[in-house]
This record gives sequence, C-alpha cells and structure tokens, in this order.
Amino acid sequence: MVSPAIALAFLPLLLTLIIRYRYYFVLLYRAVLIRWVRDCLTGLSREERAFQYILTHATPGDAQSILDTFDHWCSKVEFISNIGPKKGKILDRLLQEHCPITVLELGTHCGYSTVRIARSLPIGARIYSVEMDERNAQVAEKIIRLAGFDEDMVELIVRPSDEVIPRLREDFGVERLDLVFMDHWKRCYLPDLHLLEGSGLLGEGSIILADNVIFPGAPNFLRHVRRSGLYEVRVHRATLEYIRGIRDGMAELTFLGIK
Amino acid sequence: MPRHKLIASESDGKDNEFSLYYVEVEENSKGGKEKQATRDGKRRRARKGEVSRRRASEKRSTEMSNKRAEKKHEKHHKTTRKEGEKHRKRQRRRNADEEAEEESSKEKKNIKNERTKTLKLEDEKEKDVKKKRKKHVKNEEDDANPGKTKQKDCQDVALKEKKKKRKKPETTSESESNSDSESKDNQAVGVLGSLTPEELEKLKEAVDERKKLITTLKGKPWPMKKKLVILRYEFVEKYEGALGKGKGRKLYAYKVMMMKKWMKFQRDLENFKTACIPWEMKIKEIESHFGSSVASYFIFLRWMYGINMILFGLTFGLVMVPEALMGKPYGSMPRKTVPREEEASAMNFAVLWDFGGYAKYSVLFYGYYNNQRAIGWLKFRMPLSYFLVGVGTVAYSYMVVIRTMARNANEEGGGDDTSFNFSWKTFTSWDYLIGNPETADNKFAWCTKEAIVEEQESRKDDNIHLTRFLRVLANFLLLCCLAGSGYLIYFVVRRSQKFALEGLENYGWWERNEVNMVMSLLGMFCPMLFDVISTLENYHPRIALQWQLGCIFALFLGNLYTFIIALMDAIQLKRAEEEIVKKNMTIWQANLYNGTVSDNSTALPITVHTGNVPRGPCWETMVGQEFVRLIISDTMTTYITLLIGDLFRAVLVQFLNNCWCWDLEYGFSSYSEFDVSGNVLGLIFNQGMIWMGAFYAPCLPALNLLRLHVSMYLQCWAVMCCNVPQERVFKASGSSNFYMALLLVILFLSTLPAIYTIVSIPPSFDCGPFSGKNRMFDVIQETLETDFPAWFGKVFSYASNPVLVLPFLLLLVLAIYYLQSTSKTYKRINMELKKKLQTKQNEETKKKNKLAANELEQARKAGEQRSNSSQHTQNSEPPVSSTHTTTRPPASRGHTASGHLPGHPQQPQKNSHSNRK
Repeated sequence: MVSPAIALAFLPLLLTLIIRYRYYFVLLYRAVLIRWVRDCLTGLSREERAFQYILTHATPGDAQSILDTFDHWCSKVEFISNIGPKKGKILDRLLQEHCPITVLELGTHCGYSTVRIARSLPIGARIYSVEMDERNAQVAEKIIRLAGFDEDMVELIVRPSDEVIPRLREDFGVERLDLVFMDHWKRCYLPDLHLLEGSGLLGEGSIILADNVIFPGAPNFLRHVRRSGLYEVRVHRATLEYIRGIRDGMAELTFLGIK
Repeated sequence: MPRHKLIASESDGKDNEFSLYYVEVEENSKGGKEKQATRDGKRRRARKGEVSRRRASEKRSTEMSNKRAEKKHEKHHKTTRKEGEKHRKRQRRRNADEEAEEESSKEKKNIKNERTKTLKLEDEKEKDVKKKRKKHVKNEEDDANPGKTKQKDCQDVALKEKKKKRKKPETTSESESNSDSESKDNQAVGVLGSLTPEELEKLKEAVDERKKLITTLKGKPWPMKKKLVILRYEFVEKYEGALGKGKGRKLYAYKVMMMKKWMKFQRDLENFKTACIPWEMKIKEIESHFGSSVASYFIFLRWMYGINMILFGLTFGLVMVPEALMGKPYGSMPRKTVPREEEASAMNFAVLWDFGGYAKYSVLFYGYYNNQRAIGWLKFRMPLSYFLVGVGTVAYSYMVVIRTMARNANEEGGGDDTSFNFSWKTFTSWDYLIGNPETADNKFAWCTKEAIVEEQESRKDDNIHLTRFLRVLANFLLLCCLAGSGYLIYFVVRRSQKFALEGLENYGWWERNEVNMVMSLLGMFCPMLFDVISTLENYHPRIALQWQLGCIFALFLGNLYTFIIALMDAIQLKRAEEEIVKKNMTIWQANLYNGTVSDNSTALPITVHTGNVPRGPCWETMVGQEFVRLIISDTMTTYITLLIGDLFRAVLVQFLNNCWCWDLEYGFSSYSEFDVSGNVLGLIFNQGMIWMGAFYAPCLPALNLLRLHVSMYLQCWAVMCCNVPQERVFKASGSSNFYMALLLVILFLSTLPAIYTIVSIPPSFDCGPFSGKNRMFDVIQETLETDFPAWFGKVFSYASNPVLVLPFLLLLVLAIYYLQSTSKTYKRINMELKKKLQTKQNEETKKKNKLAANELEQARKAGEQRSNSSQHTQNSEPPVSSTHTTTRPPASRGHTASGHLPGHPQQPQKNSHSNRK
C-alpha cells in the first residue's frame, strides 16, 4: 500500500503540470467543454451559432467588419480554430507580395480565411475553396456572400480534398495554382501535397501556406517538405489563434520547380 | 578525410589541441563509420611508432569501399600538384641559372623541401597504398606490353610498384606542400603569378623531359636494384634539393628530419597527455554539441570525482583495510557478530540492500571497529587513525574548495559591468567551442534576437499591478512549497520512528523506505515547480535563474536539516534505550555468573556465543546506515529520473511522432534539455551528505565514487543521445565560482551536525573505536599521554591554555581583518586605474578623431585643389581618409578591452564575455 505521504510528494509535480500546461487546459475548456454544453443547450452546431452572431453584429458587405466580429466571437464567446488575426497578417502580407491569380484553399470551415484571402486579391483572381462537410459549407457560403464576394470570385467545392485535387484541371479548368492555403485535417497535409505535386498544377514560384504545422502539428508534412528539396521552406513562428501561450507556426513553401 | 588529417599534421605543435578539436568536430558531422575510422586514426597518432604502417594497412581496408570517391579526390590533387610542380621546377631552373644565389634563400628553399619531404613521407604512405591498388593493374599492363619483363610473383610486382610510386611522389611532393601551405610561401605564389606563357611552356617541357626519363628507366629490362640505384644517382640527387648530395646537405637534411620528428613527437606527447586526462574527449564532444555550460557540469563532476578519490583513499587505506587485515576477525566479539535473532535473515538480499545483516556488522560501519588501542604487529593506532581520518577528510575538503575559490576569484574583474550590455552580448558572447549547427543556431538567436528582446523588455514597463500580483502569488506559492515539503519530511521521519519503535518487520517496503522516497521525490519535483513559478514571475531570465537556484538550495537545505533534526531525535531515543540495555547487561552478567557458578565453580572464563550477548543499539551505526540508505535512494532516483525523463521521453518522441495527433517534437513533451543548475546542485548536496555521514560510515566515499563514476558515463551517454541543446546557451565562465561558494556553504553546514555529534554526544558503550570513552576526541588526549614523551604533553597542555589560545585567536582575527582590508584597497585601486585608462583612452580616441577629421579636411582641400589638375591624383585620395577611419575602431576596441569587463561576474550564469576557461 502506498502511504499518503508519498502520494503527497507528487503534489508538486501535479502543480507543475497544471501551471506549465495551463493554456492547454484553457483550450480544452473552451474548445471542447463549452462547445459541448452549447450544442446541447441550443441544438445548433458551433458554426451556425457563429453565423447567427455575425449576422446580428457585423456590417454586411464589409469584409473587415465580418472578420473583426469573427475574431471577437472566437476570442470572447466560443472557440473556432480559424487562422486568426495575427497569423492572418502573415497571410495578408504574402498576398500583397505575390498577388496570386488562382488560389486553392483546402478547408474552408466557416469561410473566415476565404474572406480574408478574397478581400486582398486583385480583380479577376479566383479562389477555389474546398470543404468536405456539408453543413460547414452552407455556413461558409452564407458568410462569403454576406461579405459581398460572388461566385466568380469564390468557388466553393463541397467534396473531400483528395477527390478534388486530381480533377481540378478537368472540372475547373485550372492550369496553375499560385497559392495553396492548407487548413483542413492535419493528417491530409502530406497526401494532398503529394497529389498537388503529381497533378502538375504547381509551377515555379507557387506558394503553399500550411497553417497549424506545429500545434496540432504535421510533423510528417514538415519532414517531407524539408527533405524533398522541391521547396524553399520558411516556418513562421506564432501562437495558436485566440489563445496565448501555445506555440504554433505556419509553413510557407515556395515551389522551386521540378528539376 | 585526408584533408583533415593534413590539417592536423600541418598545424604542428602550436595549436595542437585546436587542430585535434577541429578534426573531432568534422567527424561529428560525418557518418558513423567514417567517424570510427578517423577516431581510430587519431588515437593511433598518439602511439607514433607503428602509426604509419598500421594506418596504411587500415586505410587499405577502409578505402576499398570509397575508392571511387578517392579517385576523384586524387585527380583533383594531381591537378593542383602539377601546377605547384611547374612553379617549383621553374624556381629550380632559375636557381641553376643564377648560381650565385643568396645563401639565405637557398636555405629557405631547403627548408621547404624538407618540410615537403617529411610531410610527404607521412602522407605518402597512406596514399601509396591507395595508389598502388589503382596503379597495380595499369602498371601490369605496362610491363606486359614491352614483353621484356617476365611475369614475376605477384608480391614482387607489388613491391616494384611501390618503389615506382616512391619515385613519383618525390617529384610531386613539393607541389603538394605548395598547394597546401600556399599561404606560407606567398613569395613563391608571387613568382608563379608573374610567369609568362613562354616560361610556363619551358616548365612544361622540363616536366615532360623528366617524366620521359622516368618512363624510360621504368621500361629498362634491369633488375629492380639497379633501377633504384640509377634512379637515385641520376635523378634524385641531381634534382631533389636537400635529399641529394651536396655540401652539408645530408647533415642539413638529417637535422631537419630530426626536428620534424621531434615536433611530431611533441605533438604526439600532447595528444597522449590529453588522452590521459580522464573523459577529456567525451567532455570535449559534449562541449561542441551543447556549449560550455553543459560541459562545465561534467568538468565539475570530474573535479568532484578527483576529490572523492582522495577521500576514498584516506578512508580505505587508513581505516578500512587495517581493520579488515589486522583487527580481530568477524565473530570474535559481540560487536563483530550478527545477533542471534537476526542471524536467520542476515544474508537475505532485502536485508543486505538495506545495509542490515552482514553488511551492518562489517568494516563498512562505525560499530564494527574495536576500541583496542593498537592493532596488529605494526601497532597501528586504530581509534586515533579513525578520528584523524574523519577530521582530515573534512579539512582536506575545506582546503581544496577554498583554494579553488581563491584561484577562480582572480579571474573575476571588478568594475561597473552594467553598461554596454547589449554590445557585449552581440559582439563578444559567441562561444567558440560550439560545433553543432543546432546549438549554434540557438546561440545565434540568443546573441541577436533575444538580446534585442531583452533590451526592449528592460525599457518598457507593462502592467505593473499584474506583475506585482503575480510576483506576490509566486512567492507565496514558493513559501508554501518550501514549508510544505519541510513539514512533509518531518512528518514522515516522525512516522518512521514510530514504525521503528513498533518493529520494522511488521511493515512493508513502502513504509520502510518512506523517508528516502519522499525526500527524493520532493527533490525531484520541487525544482520543476520552481522553474514554472519563476516563469510566472516574469523576471529577467538571469534574475529568474538566480531565484530558482536560491529556491532549490533552500529546499535541499531544509530537507536535509529536517532529516538531521529527526535523526537527532532518533539518537536521543537510542541513547535512552542504551541506558536500559546497560542496566540489563549487568543483570544479565550477574545471572550468567550465578548460573554457571552453581553448575561448575572451576570454569571462570565463561564462554557464551558472541551472537547471544545483549548489546546496545549503537546509534552511530544507525546514523551511518541512514546516510547510506539516503545516498542509495538518491542515486536510484537520479538514474530513474534520467531513464524516464530523458530516455523514455526521447524514445516516445522519436517513435510516436509519426502516428501522433500533434507534433511531439515541437509541442508538448519535446526532447528534454540538460538542466545544468539542477544537476550541479544535486551533486553538491550529494557531496554534503557524504561529508556528513562519512564519519559514521567509512564506506560512503567508496559508494560515492561508484556513483560518480557511473553517472559520468550514464549522463554523458544520456546527454548525447536524448537531450537537445538548450534554447538559451549560456557560457559558464564565472559560474564555477558560484557553485564553489555553494559547495563551501554546504560543506560548512554539513560539518556542523557532524561536529556537534562528535563533541556533545558520548559514544556508545559497546561499539565503535571510541567505546568506553567519555567523548570521541578523548582519543587525542590518550595518545598524547601514552604515546608521546611527557614533556610533549606538558607543552601541549600549556599551549592549550586559554591564556595562550585567546591571544592567538585574536591575532588570527586581526590578520584576517588586515588582509581583507588590504585586498579591498587593492580592488579600489584597480578600479581607479581602470577608470583612468578609460578616460585616457577616451581622450586619445577623441584626439585621433580630431586628427582624422583634420586630415580628412586637409585631404579634401588638397583633393579640391588637385581635382582641377588630373583624375589620377584624385583616385589616390580616398585611401588616405579611409586609413584613418579604419584606424579608429581598433583604438576604441582597445579602450573597451582595458575598460569595463563585460557581463556580470557577480551574477554568474550569464557571464557572456571572454573565454575565461
């Protein structure tokens, strides 16, 4: 039998773990517990709740206002893992620097990042946004329309990404992707990257931006990217969106072309 | 690979260590197999005799695989060689043309020749073998084609090839050295540069001529011997400088050769010396990977090992061995026998592991020793030796620690070191011993980015209330933690006494080891908590680190002292028990006598088995046992923490990372970092326990030696295989003295209880070397009375008279005071000197600036004047001004170097400046 004194000696360890990983507990509380409770109380999904809030609080047609409201809702009310304002700035800067014409977005979710990309694109540019989940896609479409972007600008594809990528050329007539933004399942980063490489849609200078490569993390993806030699890799260090203290990063890959 | 070797052999005696180190680093970056090969090579260099031969043979085996690469390499070499050769030839030709050349230049050349020759002789042997293989086939064909030479034995052919090769390198040798040590003969390079195409053509012709000569020689159907002789006379002596025949050339060649050999010998001796320092290579390797702060821990560990070695030698040689050899054997006395009731379980492993049973009744513990004054035919004074060794070990430790501290103290410069922090960090804090890219990255980030961040932090003031609240909270938590851990230990020790009174046999392993477990666990987990709390406090990292160190120190000290206080209680209990036993003893003896008298009146010496005799509890052995158990459990905890915290974690990260839902390497549970301060403190406290308990358990230094030895290897291995370099790479220049100070404090604090027990508690009546005496130190008086002449005792009694002692003490205090004040004055004078130098330098730089400005002005004026005249003169102007601008920085640099010393010597962890080590 273990004596109580020995059990008490483990108390510092427990305290240490709690203090050190407090942000993770906060994340757990906000992303899982609150969501569960609200789901039970309202009967709506989290994305629909977010849409309701935005509908009541944001100015329609104003992308910035919609983004701000989104940020507010995510940081104060509930938690949705969007790209967030801080990492969003990195994205904005990239868009300004490169002015992509064709953008592929994997993982629309609520349309936050789609709106973010769309508002800083040049005229005539086009976003193909891929979302697997039907309900999320509906919400995303509403939000995108609310922000004032039409179907010429944003093409929402409701299908799994691994089905979409090989058929981009045939179904949508895409010749080259200037920017690929990955924010879907972290497990799918690597297979989708392989598909992209195989499809021949990436040209020299194409940029692939992958969110959340450190937390939740896509180690295989990073490893492949570093070893393959096809890309110039930069990892932007940042913190997880809407939560302080959890390190995260965005990987920016510049396709060098196949030699 | 050969490149590195060349480098190693080139930079002869001077910076031998560095070159070695360089090789080492290069190896690290390479694959395992090659690494092994080169390391072998390095080791071989130490034993010079068989070096070249063995190297050649080994080379052959290793090179077989890399032959392809080698060939390419060789080709490259050849091209460079050819170039050098041309220019050499040319020089020689010129030499021939101008017969009356200066002696000095000739000599220089000879030196060069010699150098190349010896260099070559070393290198050649390796290369020979390589080339031999390659050329083997080719040359065989050559031989076959003329058809004149018959097919000889394979060996013979090989030999022949070797000889031929021997010729060839001789011609090419100079060129090799030229290509390698190009910087040395700049002059020669100049000559090469000034060659005209015709001259080059001439050179080529000469080379071709010579080549033709050799090939014709090769093709001749002569025996090998003749060929060689002709080659020597015709070729070598004619063309090859110092090796050829000439006036005094032979002697000179011999001299140079000997010098070369001597230098090589010296180099090898140096290598051998470093190889003799235990674990030096290991530590160097770690240093290159993790920076000097981690290496400083291992150096500290090695130092500790050395001290413990001496402590062990003293106790083992002067106490344990004499008692084991000359003292009464086991079973001859009650104190040297296991009691009857314990005999059954005395050999059980569980009992022995707890240092009970036979281990308790052996030379390992105090109780086993006899109080016989002199033992054996040597008349060895056992009790006296025991006492003196106990005192001597402590005295020796004091001496060593203080000496080291004093030596380190010299290196600490005074002065206001708070200014120019940022510059110091950016420009001077690079650790040149780092050889690992990741570490270098971290260090670089620390030098640049974090320095900037820190600077910003120090200037901005954020929410003061929040930080205040957090700090108060953190301190409150800290105090709670310290008090809680102290109370927990006290509670546990009291409980264990209760268990002991009721008999330990009724309780399980957990209850018996509760004290040690709790102490180890607290010692393991509380530092982690402090670490976390210190991040909560949001202090400057340096201050945070000091706080943390202070907290850990307080914790360890509190735990240790609680333990000792509880032990004191236990001693009191034992002594009360002893009184009862004493009383019972007389009764028992009386009963014994009575019983035997009634039986048989003639047998006076009563024989009772020694195991049956009742005996006292012997508190000294109990104390020794407690300390030994503490050390063992501490060691176990350290190792288990290492295995779980480092190895298990690393394995987990390594193998689970592929199938985990977040990135284990970057996120939670990444690879662990090596915790220098925690480890050093652990070591220091471990040593403190040794000092405290060594008097009652002579086996403690031996145990500690074992522990240190094992942990050296284990930790070296663990660091290399499952730790990552720290994110903040500190340089551990001044920290050693800080740790030394801690060690001194611990030494003092750990001798206090030992002295207290020795002075104030009477020894047990029936065990140990001092049994039967009133106090332990009575042994000195006894020795004075019986072993020394009477006058000596008298003198001693006079000397120990308070009348003499008190003035002496007073004198001592005065001397200390005097010395201290003088040192203070010196320090102040030093500071003033520094300041003076600084101001002087400032003035000088100002003056220089002014001068430079003036000259610039003048130059500009002159330029303006001249600008009308021509373009040509204007071009020469910028250099004039630029020379002055370039002279300025060195001056200012000199000023800073003589002025403040950077960093914070009084705040040791972050001493960022100059290599003090």
